[in-house]
Amino acid sequence: MDIFQKLKILADSAKYDASCSSSGSKRKNGGTGIGNGETAGICHSWGADGRCISLLKILFSNACIYDCKYCINRRSNPVARATFTPREVADLTIGFYQRNYIEGLFLSSAVVGSPDDTMMLLISTVTILRQEYHFHGYIHAKSIPGSSKELITKLGLLVDRMSINIELPSQDSLKLLAPQKEKDGILTPMTHIAKSIAENKQDHSRKKSLFVPAGQTTQLIVGATPESDLKILKLSQGLYQKMNMKRVYYSAYVSVNQDSSLPTLESPPLLRENRLYQADWLLRFYGFQAEELLDDTHPNFNTLLDPKCDWALRHIDQFPVEVNTASYFTLLRVPGIGVISAKKIVMARRQCHLDFASLKKLNVVLKRAQYFITCQGKTMYPRKELSPSCIESSLLRLERNTSPTSSALWGDQLSLFSHLPPTKEDKVKCLTGNL
Amino acid sequence: MPNWKLINQTLLYDGTFDGLLTIVFDCYTTKTLPQKIASHQTYEPNFLDKPRLIQTDEAKANRIFHGIEKVIGQDALTHSFYCFLCTEANKEITILKYLCDGFEIGPKINQKLTISYVYDVIRMHRKAFGECHRLKGLLRLQEVGPNLFYGSCHPDHAILEPLGHHFMRRLPNQNLMIHDQTHHLCFITNGKTYQIIEDTHLVIPTISKQEKQFQDLWKLFFKTIAIPERKNPRCQMQFMPKKYWQDLIEEP
Repeated sequence: MDIFQKLKILADSAKYDASCSSSGSKRKNGGTGIGNGETAGICHSWGADGRCISLLKILFSNACIYDCKYCINRRSNPVARATFTPREVADLTIGFYQRNYIEGLFLSSAVVGSPDDTMMLLISTVTILRQEYHFHGYIHAKSIPGSSKELITKLGLLVDRMSINIELPSQDSLKLLAPQKEKDGILTPMTHIAKSIAENKQDHSRKKSLFVPAGQTTQLIVGATPESDLKILKLSQGLYQKMNMKRVYYSAYVSVNQDSSLPTLESPPLLRENRLYQADWLLRFYGFQAEELLDDTHPNFNTLLDPKCDWALRHIDQFPVEVNTASYFTLLRVPGIGVISAKKIVMARRQCHLDFASLKKLNVVLKRAQYFITCQGKTMYPRKELSPSCIESSLLRLERNTSPTSSALWGDQLSLFSHLPPTKEDKVKCLTGNL
Repeated sequence: MPNWKLINQTLLYDGTFDGLLTIVFDCYTTKTLPQKIASHQTYEPNFLDKPRLIQTDEAKANRIFHGIEKVIGQDALTHSFYCFLCTEANKEITILKYLCDGFEIGPKINQKLTISYVYDVIRMHRKAFGECHRLKGLLRLQEVGPNLFYGSCHPDHAILEPLGHHFMRRLPNQNLMIHDQTHHLCFITNGKTYQIIEDTHLVIPTISKQEKQFQDLWKLFFKTIAIPERKNPRCQMQFMPKKYWQDLIEEP
């Protein structure tokens, strides 16, 4: 089998992994070898699905011994199988990197033989890159569930980022769809990596070797199993707090297999995935808690409004806020004001009082924020127009005006409000792993 | 900047950053504000203008350069340099006002975002810097000789130098040619030293068979990695505007 066929099969099998970020590592080139890490990460291209291509994302092999029902590479699927050699992967990575196609390598694998055997193959590939080619670019490696601690540590010392995918957000779903995997097989190595990263950070000696400097991530599949958004978000929150996770990726379930225990979806639940990403940002950068955004009476996100607007309308008593005096974290809770705008406001108001005109000058987008703020005590609209229902209808009208006509793609997403087309923003912002 | 004397003159410089800093020096010491500053290469004579060419003086430019670093800070230097690379009209006068005000106020100038020229400098900086960052990802290199790599781009802003430095640091063992087709310049480096030349005599050799194979592998990978069920050309185009497509190997 030639390299073209192998690349086709193994890139095709790897494409369902959402993560493709190349940020967080500061590996520097001292004048020898090849490559230089960029802390902010660099996207090199964008595929037809709008997801960024930053890393050469491939599986080492797709000849899996497991039979997870949602997975395209399950043992019982009649797909073509291929396996790279460590040398082939290393040469391909260097060739692509020299031509500036990629920022580094994303190496995952199906389980070949045993978890430990597979880990050994990944380690030897990465060793060629780091020690023979002196490659300082980015490497993201999957840790294989069920592999031993020693091998995880060995791999962690070579790569920039490691991840173990949880995929199914509860133990019941795991039992149903991935009967050969166990919760402990995923959580034990995850804890081990988290602990090792923390220990490595404590070590201040100059000669220490880096251990997973860009942190660890994981991925959850959305829509394959019946978990609510609240349950998924609580799980992410737990992972951020306890495992010190860098990112949790959400992957809208794409029906690739036919099975009685799997739902048959016409199209992947992209809107739901987008809402989860929005909420994920609120958890990480905006100081929100999962319990604030959703509760048992509203276990799923509003399909029409983004999570922050939805929260603000339910807590209208906390608004409007005065931009000249509100704290940074209060400003962050205003719909339409993000981290950059909030920082600009805090910086600019030290110099002079702000009014609506100066906010416009600062390029703070007022489309949503105008209903939730005051400038020197003045609101943009008469106060009687600022009831939750009025704001909601104006916000929705704003979105509708700019929205193109609906496409069939979104039909089953908006089951309750299917007569309303999704907004332009919803379509464009199908966020993926590139942020 | 209060009490500065407005003079009805257009000052011309030689199109280099040092030339602009010389003008900044002259204006700052005489407390005068010209009507317009332009590079003499792009300046179009006008019946109403009174142009005067200012000779670049390296000593003056150096004093201003170190003065900015010391008094206003490193950020101001980056802001004004990237703003200078931006191809917007009136960037020179904006930089002059920003720097001269900065010398009075100090690093706090960067917080005064409601002053239009401060905001404009930062906005133009972001524009040029953003394009440079984008091209760091989108530039494609082709092997055109043994260990010689050529990449072509069409940037709006004159960001060839910072772009070239990025690749020099990143690929120190390769000989690189980065060709800016908008400004007809070429950045040439062997990993240790670099030079920027005009592209009038540049001949682009053809690519080898091995290079063709890598390009085909990349095209194959690019096509395969997209999930067909999630096709979203609008999103793709938003991140990767069509003007960059001409220099890509892959066909989006």
